[in-house]
Amino acid sequence: MLKAEAYRALLESDFGVQEFSDKTPPCIEASEHHRLAATLKERGYTLYGFVAATHMPAVKGAADALELAGHYEVATGLRCPTEGSHIAIWRVRLGLDEELRTLVDLFVGADWQEREQYDLVGVRFADHPDLRRLMLPEDWEGHPLHRDYPIDTPHPPWR
Amino acid sequence: MTLASAARLGVDPHRDLTDYDPEADLMVLNMGPQHPSTHGVFRVKLYLDGETIVRAVPYVGYLHRGVEKLLEELTFVQATPIVDKNDYVSPMTNEQAINMAFEALLEVEVPRRARYMRTLFAEMSRISSHLLWLATFGIDMGGALGGGTTLFLHCFRERESILDLFELVTGARFHYNTHTIGGNRHDIPAGWAKRVHQALDLIASRVDEYLDLSTKNAIFVARTRGVGTLPAKLALELGITGPILRASGVDHDLRRDAPFHAYDEIDVKVQTEQAGDCLARAHVRIRELSESIRLSKLLVDGLPEGPICGGRPIKNPTQFKAKDGQAYVALETPRGELGTYVIGGGGNKGASPYRLKIRPPSLHALAAMPYLLVGGTISDAVVILGSLDPIMGEADR
Amino acid sequence: MAVDESDRSYEHPLYTTLERMPGLDVATTTIDKLLTWGATNSLWVFPMATSCCGIELMATAASRVDADRMGTIVRGTPRQCDVMVVAGTITVKMAPRVLKLWEQMPEPKWCIAMGSCAISGDFYRDIYSVIPGIDTAIPVDVYIPGCPPNPEQLIAGLMRLQEKVRAVRAGEWAPKEERPETAAMQKTAPSIARVSSPERSQDITLAQLRGAGNLGLGGGMKRKSLPIVTAEAGPPAEASTAATESTEPASPDSSTDSAKAEDVEG
Repeated sequence: MLKAEAYRALLESDFGVQEFSDKTPPCIEASEHHRLAATLKERGYTLYGFVAATHMPAVKGAADALELAGHYEVATGLRCPTEGSHIAIWRVRLGLDEELRTLVDLFVGADWQEREQYDLVGVRFADHPDLRRLMLPEDWEGHPLHRDYPIDTPHPPWR
Repeated sequence: MTLASAARLGVDPHRDLTDYDPEADLMVLNMGPQHPSTHGVFRVKLYLDGETIVRAVPYVGYLHRGVEKLLEELTFVQATPIVDKNDYVSPMTNEQAINMAFEALLEVEVPRRARYMRTLFAEMSRISSHLLWLATFGIDMGGALGGGTTLFLHCFRERESILDLFELVTGARFHYNTHTIGGNRHDIPAGWAKRVHQALDLIASRVDEYLDLSTKNAIFVARTRGVGTLPAKLALELGITGPILRASGVDHDLRRDAPFHAYDEIDVKVQTEQAGDCLARAHVRIRELSESIRLSKLLVDGLPEGPICGGRPIKNPTQFKAKDGQAYVALETPRGELGTYVIGGGGNKGASPYRLKIRPPSLHALAAMPYLLVGGTISDAVVILGSLDPIMGEADR
Repeated sequence: MAVDESDRSYEHPLYTTLERMPGLDVATTTIDKLLTWGATNSLWVFPMATSCCGIELMATAASRVDADRMGTIVRGTPRQCDVMVVAGTITVKMAPRVLKLWEQMPEPKWCIAMGSCAISGDFYRDIYSVIPGIDTAIPVDVYIPGCPPNPEQLIAGLMRLQEKVRAVRAGEWAPKEERPETAAMQKTAPSIARVSSPERSQDITLAQLRGAGNLGLGGGMKRKSLPIVTAEAGPPAEASTAATESTEPASPDSSTDSAKAEDVEG
């Protein structure tokens, strides 16, 4: 069972994370996402927490290539159900056309949660068995939680 | 059905049948989204071989109200009455969850009296939520004019006394809007503690009656024992928390393991069962109800004096601003772990969250439906859905 | 349509015989009163309870504020109900189902919009997936404001409906004239015209009915949508291509695009 310091040490040693801050969860490479989840699951983080994707639109004149083009940020959390109940949270940054490897083979609960993030935010998950909409009707167009999606988009003949 | 048996059969419980074979003699029965027993608008498509369910495909989203998008446009101060409507049978915990997340983001201290009050309200909310669960479970089993109505009427009568107590403090039976960033808005009136004791003593004396009507009732036991067994490993992988996880044998409760607010000063006795079936979940919830009565009495007697709000008094909606930062705060609601992940730095010059994700325990519980329904009958489906206690307002947001 | 009082060609001879019997109108009005008393005191409710107002609906049926003392009980099937109480937010995915269930209720039927989500969508009304009030799809008779309304308010709404039922059965009820909308009212008007408003066009109604009829069966099963024939709409062929292409709402389980395209024919 890891506590917060041990989690941090794992990220530093195995996943090459240098920057840690109290305000934001640590950020790892998109390609390491599945490996980190598998490692944590072996170490006792067996309770699936959450996945939260955010659409960050393009920022003009940003130094970072991802920020210049617009990207998704996906935060994932896994909890250890034994005493102390620490939740390990990390972030991944993805380009708008990239796909993130799914965690369904490790955690079955990731199925619906990733479908919901695809539905609302638009981030795609590679190797997901059935990536389709969960909350909105299947023929809906657009991803509502995009920053430039107007909240009052009409949908005739109902609104 | 367990993960292993699903893998062995090559069945992917979530997937719908796209290669429908008309010769296979399966009947498709659509349950919901409007159905008296679906606990809100939940739809599950049942493929039946005679009376046995061969496959169950759930559909959600019939109450998707776009709360997360709405909260990106509203400010931190305005968020409380919006999330009140998520888990509408225990509204105090919703408000507590979102205000705790904002306080973590904005680094606002909550005074001791407010922490105790919030914990007390959460425990009383837990009592009223479990009473409502028992009431609707009774109706599911007995039907609108059948024997289950007894449980319904009795539990709602007790629940009304708790709603009266909340009405004395906040002015509303439901949707209180009483929590705010830094504490609470309404203080406890004089004489309230005595009324709390009276109401809780009444409910405590009636718990034996509920046990007689439910877990000691032969028909209830026959319908729930061995039905919908959820193995602990599947529950953990699905992210199920709360009474369902505890009924499957996993001793995990955020109130004891990751204490927040006044839970680090009181001792919560976590109730677990090993069987993992609907009867075990019923046992856990009724025992949690008794435990919450005990905790509420402790809390209402031990309320410290002091201010009830640590933030500045609210003069305009854009008062609290956050330029950046992210926070995830989870608390234990009657359904499980309600988590709020908030990213600061949104519109209104930082007075709105940039992204707010609510991690609903009910959605994780509903994802277990395809695994639990297969192999049972339609009557088992109703019982299993009732025992998972989903609230669609929270699952769909 | 003016009725020509002197034209008695449609009357049955038995009617004319009975009409001349002394005291018959006393008997018929008494029977009418009896039937009205029965109708108003047995309003069976169909609970279209989607969210929080559903809990208050259940609390109204519970013992503190007992709806059963008015003869109002909750029934699970629309075929047996007089009143549909729409309690809770109606979303775009749910609205075709509400309309379908409304159409399944037999006449005479009434609708109560309980809670502000059903009246106007509450603060969700501008959101992409929420209907701005159920009166944009079905005609509402009684509005009960509140979030959620107390059980006592729901009983008051049911009693108001009882008054309306009495008035309609006695032939004394007429719909109120819509008052002219001020600028402030227009700001909060729903995005689709209400069923009762004069600006409501038949196209929207037909598109909604078609959407309610086309709820998918799934599993690759295809279903031809039945044509809706009305006096004004005429034969369905030309109406369907115009109205349904872009206005086809939820069909959540049709798997392939080809299946969806075939579903859309009239």
